[in-house]
Amino acid sequence: MMELFLTVFSAAFFVTVIRTTTPLLLATLGGLIADLGGALNVALEGMMLIGCLTAVIVSVYAPWYVAVAAGLGAGALLGLIMAFFAFRLKADIILVGFAINIFAAGGTVFALALATGGDKGTSINLPSKAIPAVDLSVLSNIPVVGPTLTAFLSGHSVLSWFAAFLVFAVWYFLYRTPWGLWLRGVGEYPAAPEAAGIPVNKIRTWSLVVSGALAGLGGAQLAMFNYVGFTREMTAGRGFIALGAVLLGARHPVGALLAALLFGAFEALAVVMPGLFNEIPAEIIRMIPFVVTIAALVLFSVRAQRALAMRGAK
Amino acid sequence: MSNIPAIDRASRWKTIRRETLRALAALAIALLVTFIVVLFTSKAPFEAFTQLLTAPVSRVRTVGLWIDDVVKLTITGLAFSLVFQARQFSMGVQGQVYIGALAATYVALSPLGATWAGIPLGITAAMLAGAVYGFLPGIAKAKLGANEIVSSLMLNYIAIELCNFLVRTNLPKPQAGVLTTNDFPDSAVFPALVANTRIDLGLIFALVAVVVVWFALYRTSWGLKLRLVGHNARFAEYSGIKATFIMVSAMTASGALGGLLGSMFVQGQTYGKLTVLFEGGLAFEGILVAIVARSRPLAVPVVALFYGYLRQGAQLMNIRTDVPAEVIGVVTAIIILLVSSSFSFGFIKKLFNRDPARVSAPVAAGGAAK
Repeated sequence: MMELFLTVFSAAFFVTVIRTTTPLLLATLGGLIADLGGALNVALEGMMLIGCLTAVIVSVYAPWYVAVAAGLGAGALLGLIMAFFAFRLKADIILVGFAINIFAAGGTVFALALATGGDKGTSINLPSKAIPAVDLSVLSNIPVVGPTLTAFLSGHSVLSWFAAFLVFAVWYFLYRTPWGLWLRGVGEYPAAPEAAGIPVNKIRTWSLVVSGALAGLGGAQLAMFNYVGFTREMTAGRGFIALGAVLLGARHPVGALLAALLFGAFEALAVVMPGLFNEIPAEIIRMIPFVVTIAALVLFSVRAQRALAMRGAK
Repeated sequence: MSNIPAIDRASRWKTIRRETLRALAALAIALLVTFIVVLFTSKAPFEAFTQLLTAPVSRVRTVGLWIDDVVKLTITGLAFSLVFQARQFSMGVQGQVYIGALAATYVALSPLGATWAGIPLGITAAMLAGAVYGFLPGIAKAKLGANEIVSSLMLNYIAIELCNFLVRTNLPKPQAGVLTTNDFPDSAVFPALVANTRIDLGLIFALVAVVVVWFALYRTSWGLKLRLVGHNARFAEYSGIKATFIMVSAMTASGALGGLLGSMFVQGQTYGKLTVLFEGGLAFEGILVAIVARSRPLAVPVVALFYGYLRQGAQLMNIRTDVPAEVIGVVTAIIILLVSSSFSFGFIKKLFNRDPARVSAPVAAGGAAK
């Protein structure tokens, strides 16, 4: 137990938490934008997965930033497809989302087999690139706190810093710009913005495009930093966990950050635990993020319901 | 999901004809897209496509594989139909399959499995376990307001890991290191209905399940309430129906079907033992079956017949040509997208008719069509 304690409070563990949180946070912010626009984006999982594969394949032929942009673009395109079917063709958005998930689960394996010449498991024989880590070792020149700062802040992915910035950007967008107000209005009560002449469907479409782009970006981080290369079904439910994080995060960017950090921390725990306790079976450790998601969802829902009851809304 | 009781027979037939045409059109478009994909990626595209379309009927054995898929798709399609009719998006069939399979395995490998009770007890245990697993997200939603989509998906992953864990550590294995249990005793394996094929007792169970689900939905007050809740939960609540009870019971019943499917997997001729990840993503394909069948239990086996054919065709194409079977995911997604949307023959025309003044017109039309 002591070892676990020491591990959890080490700088290395902090770096692991940031690493596991980043894809989740990006997807959660994506889910948040869609959710505020009134659409539960259940396709986050599929969008991430396709983002992963696109980024990996593009990175074989292009620099890493092009690959990241490709992952982002693939997610955005899926968001657009989702919007087209959900808003223009009036399909149920949850069914559309699952269609995209099914497409992603099959399509990525199909494309992987084509790209690798028959390997349906991993992209191990593709020389894919990684997202560079930001080296802040200059900070160690600062007296006293320098080495500690370096240990905590150095070595994160570029996208981790970007994701942290995005939390602020999304907050600013939602609460300090007219478009953010429109988006929230559309999600809250579409008839009112419609009457005010705000293009409701256009806003919803954009919210799904941005949502997909962020999920695709999360996929790029997952396949180009957390792991380098693609493995079939490598998202392993992260998109669904992100969906839980949106609900848990009280539909606010800061809440999304905290929820993503919570799930990221438990995922990081699942990463470090096998090295510490080899008597705990790997399957049980792998269950942790899912169990925590359910527990968090249930606990939060209880609180939300109580708050609702206290306000007399029910 | 249109399930308004048809007033007269003529309009019912009209609906069936329209839905069938739509489904076939969606199938044609999906196959066309697949053909284009295969054309660009395969060295022998025509051979691959011929395999996709003809392989399932090429031998007696492959017909058996096809029917086996149809039987399983029917059950998962029914499970999704039940929750979709109540407008619950519980996605937990996959988890229920694993939990049900585990329960059936424990019965089959116990001393009881070697007696006549192996099959009935195995199925009962599987259905009970599945029902409990379906009940959990239901009660979490009804009592705590936890979103059923997320919780049921999380339960899927947990069930898969639990199955992996128990197979690896707890259940008896032929040798250390393999991720499969001992073969079940013969008394716990469904007898084959047609010798040397995978067509087994599961076929009978699937047919019974279709009739039972149809009867429950369309000939009992529970089914009427369930469909009312699905149409408009608040209206149902106002008219004195306990909407939350109906939701939870629909998810529980659907869970029992998922559990049954689990026992059909492991106790069927296909396996006769529990292997990790035995389900191979089939459970989720029930979404397609349920959507194309418009959640009508009697239409489910028909859709399963078509879709199972394609699914098996893709598997055989994978073995016999250079096109991976996963291409079927593309077909599935396109069919779901087209069938669940207001896509129709006039849709192409509407698509190019992007007059901004008329943008809101399809909204009204779509609303009315529901």
